[in-house]
Amino acid sequence: MTATDERGQPIRGEAVEAEPKHRIVVGLLLTAGTAVALGAALLDIPRANAHLSEVARYALQVSLPSWNLTEPVNEVVYGTRGFDTFGETFLLLAAVVSVVLLSRPREPRTGYFGEDVAGKREQSEVDPSEKPGADEREARSAESGEMDEDSPAAGRSGTQRPKTPDNERVGGRGPERAEAMAVVVRGGVRAATPVLAVAGCYLVAWGYSPGGGFPGGAVVLGVVLLVYSAFGRGRIARVIKPSVVETAEMAGAALIILTEALGLALKGSFTANWLPLTPPGTIRSGGVVQLFSAGELVEVGTGLIIAVFALLAMSHDWARDTSSGEEGDEGDEGGGREGGAKQ
Amino acid sequence: MILANYLVAGFVFCAGLYTVLTRRNLIKIVMGLSLMEGSTYLLFISMAYRAGSTAPVLVSPPAGRSAHDLVRGNVADPVLQNFCLTAIVIGVAVTAVFLAIVVRIAQHYRTLDADRIRELRG
Repeated sequence: MTATDERGQPIRGEAVEAEPKHRIVVGLLLTAGTAVALGAALLDIPRANAHLSEVARYALQVSLPSWNLTEPVNEVVYGTRGFDTFGETFLLLAAVVSVVLLSRPREPRTGYFGEDVAGKREQSEVDPSEKPGADEREARSAESGEMDEDSPAAGRSGTQRPKTPDNERVGGRGPERAEAMAVVVRGGVRAATPVLAVAGCYLVAWGYSPGGGFPGGAVVLGVVLLVYSAFGRGRIARVIKPSVVETAEMAGAALIILTEALGLALKGSFTANWLPLTPPGTIRSGGVVQLFSAGELVEVGTGLIIAVFALLAMSHDWARDTSSGEEGDEGDEGGGREGGAKQ
Repeated sequence: MILANYLVAGFVFCAGLYTVLTRRNLIKIVMGLSLMEGSTYLLFISMAYRAGSTAPVLVSPPAGRSAHDLVRGNVADPVLQNFCLTAIVIGVAVTAVFLAIVVRIAQHYRTLDADRIRELRG
């Protein structure tokens, strides 16, 4: 006798995928070789009683006298090794631009979501003969059900999503359709986000966090994602849209370039301090370090927001499924050629 | 025994490398790359450790020490902590790009199997 669940269905074991692998022997050999080389190298690097490197000692020595900074890691990030951070900033920017390029569809847009609706006309011009199969129709209708606030058909489809799940029965079997999460989550997020946002900005402003703008930017992303997941996308849509976030990203990058280039122009060296210093422990105690850190806060915060929301909104543009049969495939291509010939 | 940290970092790196070399699922390949990135964070932070040292912060040093002692070197290495911060940001950026590419590959080829995306498909 097999075990059954409450509805009398037999309980199956958890589905285990026989995972395909390839080149196991080559992989093992290469990994073993790398392990030996790495192990030999790791046994030989300096351990816990080694002296600090020149750069580290220099940074510790100049941190207080030259920059009035009590946080040497910040001094290294934005001062002594500022050029490294400068390059890294633009590597991050390049990655964000790549994600935006890879994820965006083919038409002008106003928000991160609902781009397929905006591009419907252009899409039908490019692929006039594309007819989705049954599976695809089902998937697309389910998807557009989730997206219906943005589509012009939202009013007549009649599938209004409830604002909050508070009035729904607890423990129901159906999927949750509400925009926001339940009152407990919303209350928790309401309490946590102001503290998080203020703490993140405080750590950056007073220069007390190692890395300044980098962890601060991650905190900004965390605040935005908390609000998004607890209250739904309507709450953040006015602020988190490409025109605002991408402009802020570019403004942060411009601030960083300006900060460092002015050092070159006024003091003769890139990343040199050209601002007056105030006593340690105050907002402007690091001079350009704090300015660089603030620019980095904007740059990292908005860059991560752009990357995460571009990935979250990437749900369209599936190619036709041709694995079901060759007939469909050929008909497809014929249709494509016809469409091309007409143009 | 900071050497244990070093060797664990090497092991995590090799686990990531083995994943990248032998798995066919693209998501798992990206996870392997993330493992390799994570091993560098562990290595940098472990290399920054100094026996009996304190954090590289020049305000209110622990009892019996002065800020002058800290400056002369009995602190964790701030440069390696900087490297770790840099590595984390680069890791996030690289993972985001990889995941965007994986989503596009999945949409175009309708598979995540690295061996099945070699054929050209217009």
